[in-house]
Amino acid sequence: MQEESNANGKFKGATQYVLDEELAQIVNISMALEMPLLLKGEPGTGKTMLAHAISEALDMKLIVLNVKSSMKLVDALYQYDTLTRLNDSRFGDSTRNVSRIEDYIKMGKIGQAFASEEKVVLLIDEIDKADTDFQDDMLDVLDQMEFDIIEIDKTITANHRPVIIITSNAKKDLSDPFLGRCNFHHIAFPDPDMMQKIVQVHFPDISKELLDASIRAFYKIREFRGIEKKPATRELINWIRALQADPDFKVKHLIKGDLPYLGVLFKKSPDYAASRQAASRMRI
Amino acid sequence: MFTSFFYLLRQVGIPASPTSFLRLQEALRQGLITSIDDFYTAARTLLVKSERYFDLYDQVFAHRFEGADLKEPEEFELNEVAKTMLEEWLKDPKGMADALGVDEESLNKMSPEELLQYFLDRLKEQTEEHHGGSKWIGTGGTSPVGHSGYHPGGMRVGGVSRNKSAVKVAMDRRYRDYSQEGPLTQAQMGEALKRLRNLVPAGPKDVVNVDETIYQTMKNAGEIEIVFDRALKDRLKVILAIDNGGWSMDPYIGIVQTMFNYARAQFKELKTFFFHNTIYDNLWEDPARYRKPQPVEDLVRRDPETRFIIVGDASMAPYELMATDGSIHIEERTRKPSYERLQFIADTFPHSVWLNPKMAEEWPYTRTINMIREIFPMFELTVDGLEAAVTYLMNGN
Repeated sequence: MQEESNANGKFKGATQYVLDEELAQIVNISMALEMPLLLKGEPGTGKTMLAHAISEALDMKLIVLNVKSSMKLVDALYQYDTLTRLNDSRFGDSTRNVSRIEDYIKMGKIGQAFASEEKVVLLIDEIDKADTDFQDDMLDVLDQMEFDIIEIDKTITANHRPVIIITSNAKKDLSDPFLGRCNFHHIAFPDPDMMQKIVQVHFPDISKELLDASIRAFYKIREFRGIEKKPATRELINWIRALQADPDFKVKHLIKGDLPYLGVLFKKSPDYAASRQAASRMRI
Repeated sequence: MFTSFFYLLRQVGIPASPTSFLRLQEALRQGLITSIDDFYTAARTLLVKSERYFDLYDQVFAHRFEGADLKEPEEFELNEVAKTMLEEWLKDPKGMADALGVDEESLNKMSPEELLQYFLDRLKEQTEEHHGGSKWIGTGGTSPVGHSGYHPGGMRVGGVSRNKSAVKVAMDRRYRDYSQEGPLTQAQMGEALKRLRNLVPAGPKDVVNVDETIYQTMKNAGEIEIVFDRALKDRLKVILAIDNGGWSMDPYIGIVQTMFNYARAQFKELKTFFFHNTIYDNLWEDPARYRKPQPVEDLVRRDPETRFIIVGDASMAPYELMATDGSIHIEERTRKPSYERLQFIADTFPHSVWLNPKMAEEWPYTRTINMIREIFPMFELTVDGLEAAVTYLMNGN
């Protein structure tokens, strides 16, 4: 899927990522305007993968900040390692200078992105997990491209403004000030045609029959009733991998409605049970 | 540049901010936008911050740049309203024909345009809201025109009219979807339940208390003495009791189920029980209320700091609440009236609330709701109600 080159700093897709033109345009605009890009969409639509693809395509380092619900903003910026300092001061057997607090400051993910000598891609994954204060404060930092380390009274300013990709799982709306500072895009779940391309990127020599049959089965499976977590792209790819690995598997099984390895697609036991039942009643 | 487009977006209700519009200008100035397609994507990513408005954006864009008809702002709403209003009438094509005074066959021959015109004429004749009857546009009546689907010609009514009086009808429910008072959505519920978190020091001792460590180390003549504190962990205990029986609760079970799922992620200790209508000698751990009884008396052994949240419509026959042996289940013989049981729970857990999926304005008309409200503070099962309930639970009353 790699098209021409990604020269002149424009993003055109990567080896393992199928990009639609619209999204490429949005990424490029966000980079040109130096604004964070907020991506929403259901799991498995490739939000996180986009950041990886950008970093690969533009040959920039990727720094990933996985947001957790208990996270405080300062954790993402830097950490002051008091314990090591205390230890050093007692035993004095390290090369660090105990009287220099700076030696004991470790950069968090955002700090690393700012301190980096080269332009990097900063992926802030699943921002919706954190509370609203975290989100707003973080955007302040990203806006100003600097933060203070209180312990040493020093301001860290970004050498280069990183390319910032923020993902959210659409569980709840983010606050207005937050949205105001981001560009926004919602990635819809890929349609079967798009999905064919995606699968082909991952399995360049997949047979046409298997491709068609598995994707048709996959979209039917997604419509099963009473499923809590619908299988997404990642599950489909793993499923096809499992099908290919099985020497006894024939494509006509799928066409007959015999669906092996449902456990690859459904990760929750009630879902698995429900899918088994639904599958036994299904014909493709 | 494109100012009118920007105002049009705002006019139809997309909250595009002036700052974002300036950014669009910046993008234009930098030459990032070279075609109409570019402009479409760029303007959307910069101005529209929620996928909910994507459709509206498309309509405005099509109007502004491709000359498509744009409906009056109010009529975006009318579209939806007309759909729901007319759906009712459309269930009976024969009735339509009767109402028109023509037989079904000639109605079938009408082109969608003719039918549309008919509908428009009806709207024009109408000068006030009208309910019932067979000719006017309103609710509860019959008329041959309506939204897509039923008519053989497949006409779509929504939003083509420019008649204000119909819009008036539309206004009745214009903001219903956005209101905080509507039934809870999943997202709102998660937000509201989050406020239940009560940070109390109860986690493992794994955080260094720097000040204390320095102090102790000094006291120890420089020999390092590290002092650990407990991490702040959410250890709030919550008991949820859910009325899952009877048709009267059926419409709410979905909402309550949502609450379950969120609640489970939210607390470290969460116990869920079920009951039907009201609580007698036992609560039940299984939704079928059959296998695992939990005697109400045993609740006293639980931490009184536990937040006890009851979800139910509190609507039943008064004897179910007041009489000994009040249960409508024949096999459930009780020694005390439910009223006393509820009182007992309220006494055992000072932090308890009753969440009612019925809206507050309906409460005064149900006797049992009034009686239960004397025992438990009652709140609506809405975001606003939940917020009030949580505030109440956290106040330590």
